[in-house]
Amino acid sequence: MGKVVIKSLKKSFGDLEVLKDINLEVSEGEVICIIGASGSGKSTLLRCINALEDASSGTVEVDGHDITGAHANINKYRQDIGMVFQQFNLFPHMTVLQNISFAPSSLKLKTKAEAQARSMALLKRVDLEEKANVYPEQLSGGQQQRVAIARALAMDPDVMLFDEPTSALDPEMVGEVLAVMKKLAHEGMTMIVVTHEMGFAKEVADRVIFIDEGYIVEQGPPKEIFENPKNERTINFLNKVL
Amino acid sequence: MSIPELIIQTWPRLLAGLGMTVQLTIMSLIIGGTLGLIFGLLSVSKKKTLRAIALVYVDIVRGTPLIVQAFFIYFGIPAALGIRLDPNLAGIITLSLNAGGYLAEIFRGGIESISKGQMEAARSLGLPYGMAMRKVVLPQAVRTMTPALINQCIITLKDTSILSVIGIQELTQTGRLIIANNYQTFEMWTIIAVMYFIIIMILTKISKRIERRMSYGKSSN
Repeated sequence: MGKVVIKSLKKSFGDLEVLKDINLEVSEGEVICIIGASGSGKSTLLRCINALEDASSGTVEVDGHDITGAHANINKYRQDIGMVFQQFNLFPHMTVLQNISFAPSSLKLKTKAEAQARSMALLKRVDLEEKANVYPEQLSGGQQQRVAIARALAMDPDVMLFDEPTSALDPEMVGEVLAVMKKLAHEGMTMIVVTHEMGFAKEVADRVIFIDEGYIVEQGPPKEIFENPKNERTINFLNKVL
Repeated sequence: MSIPELIIQTWPRLLAGLGMTVQLTIMSLIIGGTLGLIFGLLSVSKKKTLRAIALVYVDIVRGTPLIVQAFFIYFGIPAALGIRLDPNLAGIITLSLNAGGYLAEIFRGGIESISKGQMEAARSLGLPYGMAMRKVVLPQAVRTMTPALINQCIITLKDTSILSVIGIQELTQTGRLIIANNYQTFEMWTIIAVMYFIIIMILTKISKRIERRMSYGKSSN
């Protein structure tokens, strides 16, 4: 059974139907890249997977729990679903170390000391140990995003969601963030990545999903999607971005 | 009588009046601050009814003069219920409700000034709404609110003088009573004004220091 199972997902904002009928199954360890034009619904789809957006209908199961009907337990389920945002969203009033250790220790999943030790190990993994005690505003965008990844990993999630993680970065900083994500993918993390980085999708994704106007129009291994797209809309989109 | 002579003669009463003013201010700000936080949180709630409750409260406070609020609470409500209310208690209730309304708006503005992404990031880590609000959004909101909060403290302190109309012996009422005895109108009101001025200047200085210390990177929490 899949790690993430989405069935007949629909999402409307008022009269605007953003997701029309999404069915998607993601297996353990799989890396999915979601591509598509702005406004195609790809970020909304990602945000439905941790219930930052409520589904209008359909189900989203993560680890076998239906998160669409689970408001009592949503906080518990979200602990297993890491999320990385386009705008990093680090907590500016906390140091880098506090940003990472804050959730595990506040939720009493770890003692403060354990959480800090784990946070230092994660900082080492994203190569930012020396920044443990500075505040986010003193970091570059790329460094902030690496801290944000470490913060999500501190909850030991089963799935990681990335919402255009490099779109707000200066070009020279995109590489360092993608490198961390690549490492994570190779370590077997289940990842769903909304991205405009076609190079990353080609190289790292197990499956690429093209979304247009609220539907999954085409999906398959990156080689197939990028070299031999079948749907006309996919071809049009790829012509524009490649 | 000269001003220094007047001060020497009346200072115990003036000091008692000032003490009452400060006491009323502190009590009202503590209670009003609590009300402001509660109604501020209601006004950013997802639930329409909760937002409506906050809106009605804030509109009533802002839509009526403080002096009418004081009369309503001190004379109006006790007349309707057939009870007597201690003027000091009525004064504290009035000022607390009044400050609470304005503080609710300050809290709402402060919370809304923090990017939605902060709440989302906290929730995505599995934090319940209340904890995310308390540990992520509010600490940042209070920072941006600091100037407005201090401003409200000063306004509330000055507003205590209006409570002289229901007979509370705070600084202004004390001045009126002294003048009723000695007829030194110009000198006494000068002394009273200077006393308010000094207290508010001290408050402003302290608050400026707090504001400076609260900038990111220097605090440790």
